[in-house]
Amino acid sequence: MTTQMAPESMYRSTEGLGVWPHRGKVAAVGIGHSPTARRWDGRAETSVGAQSIMACRKAIEDAGVDPSQVDGIVLVPVTTTGAHWDADTPVPMDVVNAFNPSDDPLDGIGQLSAEWLLKNMPELTNVKFTMYAPGCMSAAITVAAQAVGDGLASTCLVLKGWHNLEGRYNHGGISAANEVPGSFALSPGRTLWGAPGCYGTALQFAQYCTKYGKHHDMMAPFMENSRRNGLLFPEGYWAQHRPEQLPPEDYLNSRWIAKPANLFDNDIPIMASAAYLFTTAEKAQDMAQKPVYILGHASSRGLARSIVPTLEEVEAETDSTGRKIYESAGISPDDLSFENMYDGFAQFHQFHIEGLRYRGMQRGDALDFYQTDISIEGPNPVLPSGGNIGSGRSRFWMHTDCIQQIQGRAGARAVTGVKPEIAVSGGPMPMGGNFTVWSATPN
Amino acid sequence: MAILISFDIDGTLEVGDPPGPLTMEMVRIVRDKGFLIGSCSDRPPSSQRSMWEEFDISVDFTVAKHLLADVKSGFEADAYYHIGDREDLDRQNALRNGFDFLWPDEAAAKPWFDAEA
Amino acid sequence: MVKQGVVPDETNKPFFDAANEGRLVVQSCTNSDRLYFPPRPASEICGEGESVVWKEVSGRGTIYNYCVVYDCPVASLKEDLPFNLAVIMLDEDPGILMYSHLPGVPPDEVPVGAAVRVIFEETANGQKVPEWVLVD
Repeated sequence: MTTQMAPESMYRSTEGLGVWPHRGKVAAVGIGHSPTARRWDGRAETSVGAQSIMACRKAIEDAGVDPSQVDGIVLVPVTTTGAHWDADTPVPMDVVNAFNPSDDPLDGIGQLSAEWLLKNMPELTNVKFTMYAPGCMSAAITVAAQAVGDGLASTCLVLKGWHNLEGRYNHGGISAANEVPGSFALSPGRTLWGAPGCYGTALQFAQYCTKYGKHHDMMAPFMENSRRNGLLFPEGYWAQHRPEQLPPEDYLNSRWIAKPANLFDNDIPIMASAAYLFTTAEKAQDMAQKPVYILGHASSRGLARSIVPTLEEVEAETDSTGRKIYESAGISPDDLSFENMYDGFAQFHQFHIEGLRYRGMQRGDALDFYQTDISIEGPNPVLPSGGNIGSGRSRFWMHTDCIQQIQGRAGARAVTGVKPEIAVSGGPMPMGGNFTVWSATPN
Repeated sequence: MAILISFDIDGTLEVGDPPGPLTMEMVRIVRDKGFLIGSCSDRPPSSQRSMWEEFDISVDFTVAKHLLADVKSGFEADAYYHIGDREDLDRQNALRNGFDFLWPDEAAAKPWFDAEA
Repeated sequence: MVKQGVVPDETNKPFFDAANEGRLVVQSCTNSDRLYFPPRPASEICGEGESVVWKEVSGRGTIYNYCVVYDCPVASLKEDLPFNLAVIMLDEDPGILMYSHLPGVPPDEVPVGAAVRVIFEETANGQKVPEWVLVD
């Protein structure tokens, strides 16, 4: 079976498409997570392949289905957090041979193919549909929802795995070279001028502060809230390995990376895999967990005109994304119980939620909103998952949280100031991402 | 002769992530010998303090990585050492701020950490 | 601050050749009268690319905003940390942006919105690149 990358036609990336035709007809039921780790320790049982198998098996078990009922898989084949396998480093054959390998020895170590997964999950005897999604879980969810809605699969695993290797990525290679190609020197992002990864977002944040008269210190309540929520997420990195709160004095006294972005405004790269089990609304009724219905999905495909997206471009794109999300789901901002938009960089979360007009906020309001009660106990929860800031860079905490909150399985993290009925999650970037609206009921 | 040692945590101490070669017992030995000791890490100072408390080691300072200079100005010593595992954030930072620098493996071989020495 | 040397390639050679001559050029589509930067293959701008020309601009601009870089991936710039990294909007079209270290401006003392003019600075291999300084 050859697995293709999902075609662009599976995404809803323009305004005016109306309500998603499969609104309420697709549901998330099962959830599976691997343990987290800061980096790979070189063992077969902690490889991204092994962790992904574990996540899939847990999701299947959680949904209470027999593996033979699974007929589809959507996964992200790229698993790197930024570090790539050094071409001069031998691939550890003991790890390769601990599994049923594919043609590429890095499969299951530094990438993940559907072929490898199926070879190593022999219990999946009935998979007829496989598809790749780019980047992160947000895209895989969109593709899987569309696939189930379109009838390409009826019981579908949605998988994202991450590997993280030793070293500081982006600090070697071309960054250490004496000469660079002209295209690199002028490229958006990394350039001759030495912009770190967070530069674009930090620049937009700087312009946001200039435009609306805000300042970096106003992020502290958001950061504290996110870490607090993350520490209530037993699946997350900080909860599992370093249960440390992030009080304002520690956040504000941290070193700068690209002022106004400091160390904690950047998320921490980790290894982890997560899987969900999606199915049709009908089949979900017979499964072990409460169905969480997908009301709609939307995607953003913003393009910066020049070397870096400006705040103005980001605001225009996230405004459009907000409109697409509501149009697709057939809801309005007032219908949202809570939001779980992406935060990895912390400083763009407000672009997402202002675009959503969450709790009626307008442009320039978010940092003031952060000074109010944004806790899970209050009426206006912000990022109850804690996101990447709360649990490490996986880009899937926000989705898991939406499903768990609506299923009533969020444990100590459960929102109590609102009834969890409709929520939105997605990302990653304000200029490009995929977003899903989840609901306790199909309509 | 008063010696001050600043310990990085991750990649340096055994409790770091990744673990480093310096054990908490080694830290305790230099503490008992009267060295001025503390940590200088990207971990938040509150988390550094919790770590030392957990191992019942009293330290003289806990600072964020970019505040190593404050340690130099805050403590009178005859020699200042920073031990860490990163070229830019540890070695260069240490040298820039008037500290001698040791990689964790180099440091582990120092007689300071020998209880009998 | 000496930047890494630059080896121009086909797409951006006119830009770098002009920089060596002390001129700032960007791509322009004569069909739409629209400017483009960074350089890209002409065919990506307009049809076959026949309408795409290199246009000299005034070398005047305005500071959009900036960050102060304290942790930089480029090895050769680390000894200069911390440094300003600003984005400049061209006077001809504020949607066209260029990076600048703003030589002469102390870190974090950047006057956002101030006028700047281009200069050309040698990189490690002698290739010149545009930089921007405050207009007196």
